[in-house]
Amino acid sequence: MKHINIVIAGAAGQGIQSAGEILGKTLLRLGYHVFITHDYQSRVRGGHNFMTLRFSGEPLAASVRSSDYLLALNEESIGLRLGGLGAKGLAFCLEGDKGNHADARLRVLPDSIGPASARGAKFAAVKLSAMLFASLGFPPEILAGSVKKIFGERLKPEILQANLEAVAAVASFIEPIDIRPPSFAPAPSAGRMLISANDAIALGMVAAGIGVYAGYPITPSTSILNLLGTEGPSLGIAVEQTEDEIAALNLAIGASYAGARAACGSSGAGLSLMAEAIGLAGITETPVVIYDGQRSGPAVGMATRTEQADLLSLVHSSHGEFPRAVICPVDHEDSFYLAAEAFNVADAWQVPVFLINDLGQANSESTLEEFDISRVRIDRGLMAPEPAESAPFARYAVTESGVSPRAVPAMSKWLVSCDSHEHDEYGHLTDNPANRVRQHSKRMRKLDGMAASFPGPEIINPGRPVCVIAWGSTVGPLLEAAPTLKEKGIEYSIAVFRYLYPLDPVKVGQALKGFERIYSLEQNYTGQLGKLLRMECGAAIQGHIGKYDGRILTVEDAAGLLESALGGKL
Amino acid sequence: MTCAETFDFHEPQWCPGCGNFDILVCFKEALCGLGLKPQEFIMVTGIGQASKLGFSVKCNLFDGLHGRALPVATGINMANHKVKLISVSGDGDYYGEGGNHFIHAARRNLNIAVFAGDNRVYGLTKGQASPTSSPGFVTPIHPEGVGGKPISPVLLALASGATFVARAFSGNKEELSGLMRQAIEHKGFALVDIMSPCITFNKANTFGWFKNRAKPVGPGHDPSSFEAAIKLASAEQDSIATGVIYKACRPAFDARFSALKGETIAARTADFVPGRVRPLFERFK
Repeated sequence: MKHINIVIAGAAGQGIQSAGEILGKTLLRLGYHVFITHDYQSRVRGGHNFMTLRFSGEPLAASVRSSDYLLALNEESIGLRLGGLGAKGLAFCLEGDKGNHADARLRVLPDSIGPASARGAKFAAVKLSAMLFASLGFPPEILAGSVKKIFGERLKPEILQANLEAVAAVASFIEPIDIRPPSFAPAPSAGRMLISANDAIALGMVAAGIGVYAGYPITPSTSILNLLGTEGPSLGIAVEQTEDEIAALNLAIGASYAGARAACGSSGAGLSLMAEAIGLAGITETPVVIYDGQRSGPAVGMATRTEQADLLSLVHSSHGEFPRAVICPVDHEDSFYLAAEAFNVADAWQVPVFLINDLGQANSESTLEEFDISRVRIDRGLMAPEPAESAPFARYAVTESGVSPRAVPAMSKWLVSCDSHEHDEYGHLTDNPANRVRQHSKRMRKLDGMAASFPGPEIINPGRPVCVIAWGSTVGPLLEAAPTLKEKGIEYSIAVFRYLYPLDPVKVGQALKGFERIYSLEQNYTGQLGKLLRMECGAAIQGHIGKYDGRILTVEDAAGLLESALGGKL
Repeated sequence: MTCAETFDFHEPQWCPGCGNFDILVCFKEALCGLGLKPQEFIMVTGIGQASKLGFSVKCNLFDGLHGRALPVATGINMANHKVKLISVSGDGDYYGEGGNHFIHAARRNLNIAVFAGDNRVYGLTKGQASPTSSPGFVTPIHPEGVGGKPISPVLLALASGATFVARAFSGNKEELSGLMRQAIEHKGFALVDIMSPCITFNKANTFGWFKNRAKPVGPGHDPSSFEAAIKLASAEQDSIATGVIYKACRPAFDARFSALKGETIAARTADFVPGRVRPLFERFK
């Protein structure tokens, strides 16, 4: 695929995010498709962070390692990132950051270029962005316009002016030989957005009619708390930062009991704290959506690094047995629609629903066409008719599907009792054995109904002898690696799982029928989806290709891992 | 049928002579005194003998996890800020397992009446020390006596930002039901810490022990003074003050949210159509 890949590297606090925001938004407005990934350390200042910004005339669903441009915001970044720059690439830095580097691809911006008011590291991001834009053959007015639009209200007038003068001055510094306009045309679209998967999830929650959201700050899920918190007042959503994740889920359960669509969000570390309340949602049959932005564990692990290693823990989280669902979007578009659908699943089956993602995808940004509101439906599930007079409600009436009609306390004349203990149909505690069997089997029956109602895996590139099982952010790189590997004689189908639990063995069996060999490619050590498919469906998974270095799976990574795993075996 | 009988539900299963019986009687009296109907409030309880009171009152009930009643109540308040919230549990639940939630619910000034049956012992699990057990209290786990300093629920609530702090003795029913009524009417976090005997597992703090020490605060105490409240709660030795120790006016948790003005979120949920997300798209263009 024709594309240009830009790496912006520097220390935390140097403006990598700002540069990415300006470049991303500008390319979006020029009509390009953009895909941005963030690689950062758990610190506020210093260290080494970088962002990759890839743009193309075609939609993108993955990042690549090899870059065409390097914007080095400090000296260290030249040494650390020059290796990833293609032979014909260009690297830009300020005069003061050049150090001893003498690479033919390096272009050094003298301090004398630009106004005296725009000297120093603070202006590195905007100046190097201006070099990049000039090299891409874009008129400087476009970048200046974005700087004005995005930073107009954030910067003091004199600083903004210095930035704008720097953009104009730097643009004319680029030598004609370094001007390399993209070889691909943009594909403009009026409604297109540049959005992170986390923000898409937050928007999906809004579309679903969320009323209450709670969380405790944690990477990578804080951005959902931020977006819903910021927009809450205008949308009529109540958002609270709780004292801990235990409170976050208990709060969401309370809000759902009282009639709101409610969710909470965290990462694996917070999900571990929530385990007790996950069981509470299970036994009280309270619909709730729980977002898990997975990161490298266990314990604190690598707080800003990605992983897909929470799946089995979520399938089994909390003691005892109770039904739950696990849903995972494969990309940014999916993140919106599946986030909205998660609430319907929760309401329909009155279970906790885990909506999961991984850190790499959660933070990454992608261009998408405007979400189609007409594809979102809101279904609150089974509600009981109002009684003539106030009376205790049979909240846990035994039904064939296992789902009992709900009533909302204080919104209805029904007196609604929910209990964390095993309880009778009226929500009153009892350890009567016959009742236990009735209530427990009623709850557990929901697993069969849910599995039957969920779509099975989607098979992409069907009919190949080998199938690679994938979930979440690995799907994009697997798709894009396919043409490259085909040239090397390696072909594969991809089985994409969005509804990860409960699984329907018949649907899974049919989808995986006929493959000679099945592998799973996951960002974990043990091959958790592969294990789950064996355990739940008896699927014959021959091997697992694991990646657990905490870094985002690039197209090159996927190709390399598949080639070494499958290369000699076809 | 008397008013109190309209709330009768499951028969409580406490030991004869348990302080919880008195708390239950006073609670029903308070509800009747306020003219509350079963469908007009939600009870949120935790785990422990005191929490079981919820099963004996005909009303809406969420009986949650040990220590976690207050976060559930916070969520209920956010979904429906108009419904009266009442929580009943014990010293182990609020001050031990749920200590962090207690502090933060008080800090938020969550609009709730919290009735803590404080018998200074774990009854349900048969006689272990609680966060309010006296130093030297002997249990099978602490044969040499409990060390450390007991939590003062009153000081904890005051320091955490509660806006109504009271203490009662289950044996003084008139005072208790009056305090409960005031707590339910209060707008904000209202704690009534109720000294209550566990006749089976606490042989140190008996009915008589509490009775001899419980001394209603006189007209000399000014409950609007934080300093006076701290002083009163800090000075306890042989006499323990009962009554309203502190009462202040501060906006309740829900008053902070513009989303919680007017109609409740629970009532507006039906109007939350997918199209309400549309204005947010502009942020990403």
